[in-house]
Amino acid sequence: MSDAVEVRTLEQLRRGLRIATLLVAVAIVFGLGLSAMLRRLDVYEPALAQVAAFAVLGAVLAAEFVLLVRRRSWGAPRLAVIAVVLAASALSYATLPDGRTSTAVDWIFGAANWVGVVVLLDRPLRSSAVFLLAHEFTALVHLLVFDEPSREALARFATGSVSVVGFPLCVAVVATILHGLSAAAAASHRQIEEARVAEAVAAESHRRRQRRFAELSATTIPLLKGLADGSLRPEDPAVQRRCAIEAARMRRLFAEADTVQNPLLHELRHCADVADRKGVTVELDARGQWPAPPLAVRRDLTEAVLTTLATADSRARVTVVGSADLVSVSVVADCGEVDLPSPAAPGVQVETLKTDDMVWMEARWQPTRQLMNR
Amino acid sequence: MAADPAADEPITAVIVDDHAAIAAGVRSWCAQAVPPIEVIDAGDRLADVWTDSGADAHVVIFDLELVPGRPDFGELRRLVDSGRRVVVYSQHADDVTVIKCIDLGALAYLTKREGSDHLVPAIRAAARGEPYTTPSLSGALISDDAPGRPRLSQRETEVLRAWFASSSKQLVAAKLNITVKTVDTYISRVRVKYANVGRPARTKSELVGRALDDGLITLAELNQTVTPL
Repeated sequence: MSDAVEVRTLEQLRRGLRIATLLVAVAIVFGLGLSAMLRRLDVYEPALAQVAAFAVLGAVLAAEFVLLVRRRSWGAPRLAVIAVVLAASALSYATLPDGRTSTAVDWIFGAANWVGVVVLLDRPLRSSAVFLLAHEFTALVHLLVFDEPSREALARFATGSVSVVGFPLCVAVVATILHGLSAAAAASHRQIEEARVAEAVAAESHRRRQRRFAELSATTIPLLKGLADGSLRPEDPAVQRRCAIEAARMRRLFAEADTVQNPLLHELRHCADVADRKGVTVELDARGQWPAPPLAVRRDLTEAVLTTLATADSRARVTVVGSADLVSVSVVADCGEVDLPSPAAPGVQVETLKTDDMVWMEARWQPTRQLMNR
Repeated sequence: MAADPAADEPITAVIVDDHAAIAAGVRSWCAQAVPPIEVIDAGDRLADVWTDSGADAHVVIFDLELVPGRPDFGELRRLVDSGRRVVVYSQHADDVTVIKCIDLGALAYLTKREGSDHLVPAIRAAARGEPYTTPSLSGALISDDAPGRPRLSQRETEVLRAWFASSSKQLVAAKLNITVKTVDTYISRVRVKYANVGRPARTKSELVGRALDDGLITLAELNQTVTPL
C-alpha cells in the first residue's frame, strides 16, 4: 500500500515541520528576545508594557504546544490570536525608546514574526505573508514617525527585515508545499481506494454469476439438452411442467440479485408472475413483519410456491404470514401431484395437504438466531 | 330500521358504490344466489340509503372509499349507530383500516377481490345480524398488534392463520383435524372478542349478548385483553 505510506509520510513531515517551527520560535522568543529585553529593561517607558507583550507571545507559544501534543489545529480563534500578536507588537513599539527600531533593544522585531508564522503554519501562504507585512509595517511606522530615518537607520532596518520576513516566509513556503503534496496524495489515495472497491465488487458479482450458472446447470441444462437432442418431447405434459418450473427458477434467480426492501416478497412476486403469464390467477397476500431470511432459507420457502404454481391449473393463493419468530409461506392451488425436494436450510419445514382437487403447501421458517436470543 | 327478515321474505341489500360495473356485478351474484337477494343500487348517492326502499333494506353494502384515498368512517359510524347492518366492500385496504371498520361495528369487511366467493354469504350473515370474517379480515386480525386488543387463544390464532392462507374452510378443517363447524366456532369467538372491545355499537353488543347466551364464549374469556405495555 505505497499510496497509504505516502500519505502517512507526508503527514509526518508536516508534523515535523510544525514541531521544528515551534522549537525555532521558542528559541528565538525565550532565548534571543527575552535576553535582549531583560538586558536593557530600564530603557523602556514603561518596562511593564514590554513584559506584557512578551507574556502574550509566550502564552501563544504555550497554547501551540498544547495543540501540537493533542494533534489539534488552531481552528476558529486563529484570527483573534493573530490580532493579539499584532497588538503585542504594536504595544511593544509604542513603548520603545525613539531611534531604537531594529536595534538590539527592539527585541519584538525578530520575535513576533515567528510566533505569527507558528499560528498560521497550516494556512495558505498568503496568510503568513500578510501577517509578516503587517508586523513589518508596524516597525516601519515606528521608524518613520519616531526615529530620524537616516540612511544608516534605513539600511539597518532593511538588513533586519531580510531575516525578520525572509526566514519565516521560507518556512511558510515549505509548509504550503507540503500541504499541497499531502492533499494531492490523499486525493490519489482515495481514487485508488475507489478503484479497488469497484474491482472487488466486480469480482464478487462475477463469482455470484458463476455460482448461479452452476446452480442452473444442475436442473436447467439437462432439460435444455434433452429438448435439443430430442430425448424430451415438448408436447409431453411432464416436460412442459419441468419447463415451467425451470422458467420460474430462473426468474427467481434473477430476482435474487435485486436489492429490495423485502426480498422474500419480491421473489414470490416473480414466481407468481410466471404463473400469471400461463393464465393462472394468482392472489398474493402478506401480513405482518419479519426479519429478512437468508438466501438459502428464501429458496426453501419459495420452492414450494414455485413448484406448485408451475403446475397449477387455473388458480392459486399465495400468502405470507410473518412475525419475529416465524415466517410461514403458504400456497393453495388446484394442481395435481407435486414432488418437492426436501428443504435444505435448517429451521425450514414444509407441510403438504392434499385433497381431491387442491394442494396446500406450507413452508415455515423459525429464525434460529431469534430463538437463541431468548 | 333493520330487522331480521321473515323466514320466507327475500333478503334486500342496498349497495353504495360509485362504479356501475361493481354494482352490476353484485346485483348479478345476488340474483344467481339461492335464494336470491334483492339489490337496490344507490350509486354514489348516500342519501338513497336513508330513504325509500334503501332505508328498509336489511343490509347496506358500503364502499368505504367513495372518494379514493379517503375512507368515510363518519358515514360508516352513522349507519351503524342507526342500527344498520353494514358489509364494507372496499378496494384492498391496510390492516388498520380493516380493524377500524370492525371496531366501528361493520359486520363484515371484504376486499373487492373477495366479492365472488364471499359477498353472498357475508350479506346473508349480516342480514341475520351475524358477523362474517373473510380471509383478508382474518389476515388483519392475526397481524393486529394494537394495545388493548383481545387476547386470542393459540388455537384461535391457528385457525385464523389457516383461514387467511387457504381461503377454504374445508382445507382449514382438514389441516387442523377439526370439523368445518368447529372452524366457524373459532372464527366466531374471535369476532365476539373483538366486538367486546373498543367503541360500543349495537351490532357489536348484540353479537356479544348472543354469544354469551349460546355459550359460545364465557364472560371470563371475553374480558381477557392484551394489556398495553
